[in-house]
Amino acid sequence: MQLDARIPGGPLAEKWDRHRFELKLVNPANKRKFEIIVVGTGLAGASASATLAELGYNVKTFCLQDSPRRAHSIAAQGGINAAKNYPGDGDSIWRLFYDTIKGGDFRAREANVYRLAQISNNIIDQCVAQGVPFAREYGGLLANRSFGGAQVERTFYARGQTGQQLLLGAYSALMRQVAAGKVKVYPRREMMDLVLVDGSARGIVVRNLITGEMESHAAHAVILATGGYGNAYFLSTMAMSSNVSAIWRAHKKGAYFSHPSFVQIHPTCIPVHGTYQSKLTLMSESLRNDGRVWVPDRAGDKRSPNDIPESERDYLLERKYPSFGNLVPRDVASRSAKEVCDQGKGIGPTGFAIYLDFKDAIERDGIDVIRKKYGNLFQMYERITGEDPYKTPMMIYPAIHYTMGGLWVDYNLMSTIPGLFVLGEANFSDHGSNRLGASALMQGLSDGYFVIPYTIGGYLAGTVLPEVDEAHPSFEDSIKLMNEGIAKLLSIKGSRTVDDFHRELGHILWEYGGMSRNESGMLKAKELILGLREQFWENVMVSGSPGEFNQTLERAGRVADFLEFAELLIEDGMSREESCGCHFNEAFQTEDHEALRNDDSCCYVAAWEFNGPGKAPTLHKEPLVFENVELAQRSYK
Amino acid sequence: MNWLINTLGSSIGKKLLMAITGLGFIGFLAVHLIGNLTLYGGQDLFTSYVEHLHALGPLIILAELGLLSFAIIHIVIGTLLFYENLMARPVRYRVKKNAGGRTIGSATQPYTGFIILAFLILHLLNFHFAEHTNKSLYQLISSAFANPLYVGVYVIAMIVVAIHVSHGFWSLFQTLGANHPKYMPLIQKLGIAVSLMFGIGFGFVPIFISFIA
Amino acid sequence: MSENINLTLKIWRQKGPNDKGHLETHEARDISTDMSFLEMLDVVNEQLTVEGKDPVSFDHDCREGICGMCGTVINGLAHGPERGTTLCQLHMRHFKDGDTIVIEPWRARPFRIIKDLVVDRSSFDEIIQAGGYVSVNTGQAPEANSIPVPPEWAELAMDAAACIGCGACVAACPNASAMLFVGAKISQLALLPQGKPEAAKRALSMLRKMDELDFGNCSNETECEAVCPKEISITNIARFNREFLVASFGSSEK
Repeated sequence: MQLDARIPGGPLAEKWDRHRFELKLVNPANKRKFEIIVVGTGLAGASASATLAELGYNVKTFCLQDSPRRAHSIAAQGGINAAKNYPGDGDSIWRLFYDTIKGGDFRAREANVYRLAQISNNIIDQCVAQGVPFAREYGGLLANRSFGGAQVERTFYARGQTGQQLLLGAYSALMRQVAAGKVKVYPRREMMDLVLVDGSARGIVVRNLITGEMESHAAHAVILATGGYGNAYFLSTMAMSSNVSAIWRAHKKGAYFSHPSFVQIHPTCIPVHGTYQSKLTLMSESLRNDGRVWVPDRAGDKRSPNDIPESERDYLLERKYPSFGNLVPRDVASRSAKEVCDQGKGIGPTGFAIYLDFKDAIERDGIDVIRKKYGNLFQMYERITGEDPYKTPMMIYPAIHYTMGGLWVDYNLMSTIPGLFVLGEANFSDHGSNRLGASALMQGLSDGYFVIPYTIGGYLAGTVLPEVDEAHPSFEDSIKLMNEGIAKLLSIKGSRTVDDFHRELGHILWEYGGMSRNESGMLKAKELILGLREQFWENVMVSGSPGEFNQTLERAGRVADFLEFAELLIEDGMSREESCGCHFNEAFQTEDHEALRNDDSCCYVAAWEFNGPGKAPTLHKEPLVFENVELAQRSYK
Repeated sequence: MNWLINTLGSSIGKKLLMAITGLGFIGFLAVHLIGNLTLYGGQDLFTSYVEHLHALGPLIILAELGLLSFAIIHIVIGTLLFYENLMARPVRYRVKKNAGGRTIGSATQPYTGFIILAFLILHLLNFHFAEHTNKSLYQLISSAFANPLYVGVYVIAMIVVAIHVSHGFWSLFQTLGANHPKYMPLIQKLGIAVSLMFGIGFGFVPIFISFIA
Repeated sequence: MSENINLTLKIWRQKGPNDKGHLETHEARDISTDMSFLEMLDVVNEQLTVEGKDPVSFDHDCREGICGMCGTVINGLAHGPERGTTLCQLHMRHFKDGDTIVIEPWRARPFRIIKDLVVDRSSFDEIIQAGGYVSVNTGQAPEANSIPVPPEWAELAMDAAACIGCGACVAACPNASAMLFVGAKISQLALLPQGKPEAAKRALSMLRKMDELDFGNCSNETECEAVCPKEISITNIARFNREFLVASFGSSEK
């Protein structure tokens, strides 16, 4: 199949306007005749559900948790970017566009990213109107800060809880539509399968997590906004239930998967401490605005940080990148951390940590200013580690944080399956091979509030869809298949727990598919994953029965999918013969150990087609064309 | 008038009624306490106070009717709240600790309320509805407090009143929405002062009458 | 520094909403004090699974104290002994070797038990549906800086908006009242100019919904504030009371 991104013609700045004009419209009176399914209630899912309902569509919204308000967007701390240029420091839509394209190391579509930058401003307007309590200046106007490597102050924030506040805003809009009778929310449901009729997405099968029953839901279009797959690595900053299952099962039904190997590793997380650790906690990147990253000069220096004199410290980021210093993008900062730890300079009990020191900032600005800016983060750090960052430097280490990869979508956010739309982190679209700080919230809300409401209308108005309801045999077939899968999991009754398998998969991926990759390591990872998957299906222990609230069974299903997906992640990493953004292949690096892109042969979007279990997937390439920016080697020196 | 019933029947509405009637009682107790202080001045002073009071005639009846209706509201709504709150947690915790918010006053509020009701009935029977024709009020009081049991009951009842007011006072401001970071600490201190004043002011009367006067 | 401890857990086990339920004793061995409370439960569950027994069901998701999914009553205290802390952020270093820990689900009439420690909190969603929003459709919003908000109000609104909807306030309230949860949402929107046009309607409608759902009545015990993981103040309840009074007696809303 030839991939068509359906990018509208015309100059970059006019593409979205022009496209909105060209899209067919659904007559207002007809909107109520359409049913739309939205899976996921994070920023993208909640905002899409609410907006589509406001327009008049009938929406059915599904989430895993007990309430739509729990989705993991809620954990985003730092902020949301917009090209408002309120501080007047030289920002513009064009600059936000350029920074995002460049930050993504030129592996995203120009048209998508430009649209994102354009819409960014509408998002802020919308959120403010909803009552999101953004930080304010003394005069009552919105405050901005610089964030994650941006040289302009364009980040809007609500303390360290921006994601929470934006999500609660979208959630409140969603609740308003529930009250209006336009949205029906189905909480504690897990999507098991995408149902196709005549090749188009026409519904889903979900498992009611309370009763264990399979339920069918038909619709005219299906939207997946199910987030990222970082939990493939077991330890990550994701929520425990974040998974790949929804998009993976859609992939198995024909949706192409793009860039699974583009996984962002966030530099400022609390280091791993023990075997039974279940998750890693992110410390907002904003900490790097005032904190200085350092390690002891000498490998194996076990002195307490306050005993190590200035002259024996290596402020590695300031040394290597004098102009950006501690504010280099995430991938660069993460790799630098790994590099010094591999040299034995790492600190803490495991040797896999570096210092983030606020001593100078406290001396410069006073403890009150620092407390006002980062008080809640410092408190969180102390709660977890038992150490006071006002007195001793924080210890940080990179952790899996965000996945740029996801289902392939065109400019309309439609996947290769007609009628299946994918929003937010679940799609691959806007961040290329590395996402800049404060851009995830922007993309999720842009997709949900301002893109899908137009593009789905174009699809519905321009497509003839036969009537399909839950009685269609495809639903029954799917339910049968899903029940068989569950029965199989429960019948194994082996001796290893689900988490045990998951943990081992995480080790493999972190070791061979993490911050630094090479050919032989990835080959080894493929082999190990294959072996682990076989063992899983022979020896996993899943207790309980299918017809009840069974959290072990839920996890088993997700881990089974991760075990399949992990192979594609590695496959994708191997196929890309370059280093770009977060994907660092040791064979492709500059003399300074920076990522070396190969624009001649790798300037494409990788889109993988599923060919059936046990069969090699097919790689399709959508060429990336850059007409408005020059492909430059990123340099943060 | 439907809206008024809806308003007062809601959970905040009921609290509001408790707050307003409670405030009324605090006012009444303050006046009552001032009156009682004349007891410390001896029989003559007290009798002249009682005569002045009775001279108010219909005003007294009006005040009594007001107090009665306040009492009915406070008791009925209080009992209803107590019942509803019990029903809101049909299965209790096996282990439940105070997280640091509750005080003796707040934790015992309904119970101290019922004790005060029982005391009130006794108190009214003792002095209000007692035979006044042969004895002056002062004589009634001093004969009652000749019995140490009565002294004990009255002193304990006044401690209970103090506990009830210790929560009720600041709580009524909170219910009326008057919680401000600047003033609330003051209100809370005032609440303690008022409850101590009531406890000591009223509680000392029987002791004074029986042992000192 | 980290060490290993042994604990005796008494955990509420209940197969479903109609089961009677009971406290069951489990041993937790070699628990590192660096673990979080939920990681400790993970260890117990791994052990139960290997033994072929039914693991303990409990709600949890983000494990960084913001999603509001986790929460149980630990030795009589909602979210355990640490102030301003969700259960997932409670670390085992706050317990001693040999401790006995009683773990019970949130208990309130509207919070039906689904299984073990998992309860149904959909009543909170229903309360928000009754008015916990600003009625603005996507695209209707004016330019963001056309609505100035004094920073002091924005800060107070943020204090209230920090609510994670975990339900600890209800669980800890001797009366199972939801006033802190509702008060926080009412306050957030009452403090901001965006929330003003609907303030009266919102206060009345959210209160009615709360009452209808059989939560208890607030009696200002302030236990909610003491257990709230986001340390939301009861001044928000006072503001709710005020909003309600103004709406009832000073507006044309019925």
